Amino acid sequence: MYSREHIWVRVDGDLATIGITDYAQEKLGEVLSLELPEADAYVERDEPFGSIESAKAVIELISPVSGVVISVNEDITDDIGIVNSDPHDTGWMIVVEMDDLSELDDLLDTRSYQDYLIQEAEVD
Amino acid sequence: MAVDEAIFRECIRGGRGPTLRFYGWRAPTLSLGHFQDLEREVDAGACERLGIGIIRRPTGGKAVLHDQELTYAVIAGASSPLFPPSILETYRIISRCIAAGLAALGIETALTGAGRQEAGDRLRASCFSFPSRHELTAAGRKICGAAQVRSQGAFLQHGALLMGFDPRLTCEIILPHRKGEEQLDRLRRSVTTVGEQAGREIDAETLSGHLREGFEAVLGVRFEAGGLTAAEERLKEQLMANKYGADRWNREGRNMEWISAL
Repeated sequence: MYSREHIWVRVDGDLATIGITDYAQEKLGEVLSLELPEADAYVERDEPFGSIESAKAVIELISPVSGVVISVNEDITDDIGIVNSDPHDTGWMIVVEMDDLSELDDLLDTRSYQDYLIQEAEVD
Repeated sequence: MAVDEAIFRECIRGGRGPTLRFYGWRAPTLSLGHFQDLEREVDAGACERLGIGIIRRPTGGKAVLHDQELTYAVIAGASSPLFPPSILETYRIISRCIAAGLAALGIETALTGAGRQEAGDRLRASCFSFPSRHELTAAGRKICGAAQVRSQGAFLQHGALLMGFDPRLTCEIILPHRKGEEQLDRLRRSVTTVGEQAGREIDAETLSGHLREGFEAVLGVRFEAGGLTAAEERLKEQLMANKYGADRWNREGRNMEWISAL
């Protein structure tokens, strides 16, 4: 599932693994720096959970769900290139224990996200 | 910085239209880019000795010594029709606004097309030491640097126009310290000021007036003078107390605790 803020979400029970989409990494260009929350931090839906710097700008990463961060991908802070090279798999960012599974209802499936990207490209 | 971020946060919440701000600095202050490592990029001891304060910007990019300059901030929300969603297009339009303002002072500028921060450039900690994408040069030298932060379609772009430039001071506080004269020469060759290009001294009021007119002409709007809303004022106070007045942000660059407290 995907958010309109270009975040992907993979759900396993009440755990949501979160990262940025391939579209987002391509738009940003080479990722230079990344700030993620610490484990046990609370993230809130539609609020920033971190930020990322590319050559173009600093972008706040917007959480698609609310809950406690139970895991942070330390590998990408050591080798930030993974965010560009493998954003959907080893480039995952955080795992959140979700408060409210109904928040997932607002997310887009693959097809809807693709349609959303086409709309974005038209106004860009 | 706190005022700019307060307006930006309110803009994300939909509480405010596009804003253009101009300001100067009471005392020389060095600003770090959002993610810069203070220890690696700046000689903090030299800053202390020279009475130069250190803060961290919400925007990206490299260290900037704010001394004799006019700083601008442009803030707009996702729904603003004035700016496209594309990061680079936004840089380009704002550059055109600045260029129009400088043209009224007889300064001809060009937009740089080269990429920002290619691999070798990461070693250069000073923002003004090389021109980057969609920034303005005059006579081949950088005259206006810029950086953005974006969130939920809203953006804050900071930029600085130099009204005076002391390359020696910049070299004293920004790392790495290289062979003195070589570094000074490079800075002198790559950076220029508004007064130097105009051929006469231009004060901040005159410059900001022309820049405002440049924005109005390019964007096809009229800006109205205004102050902070009550909500922005409250947020500014919180930001000053907890973020821009705190080492956790200025020295370590940790933002998340503050963000989550919003």
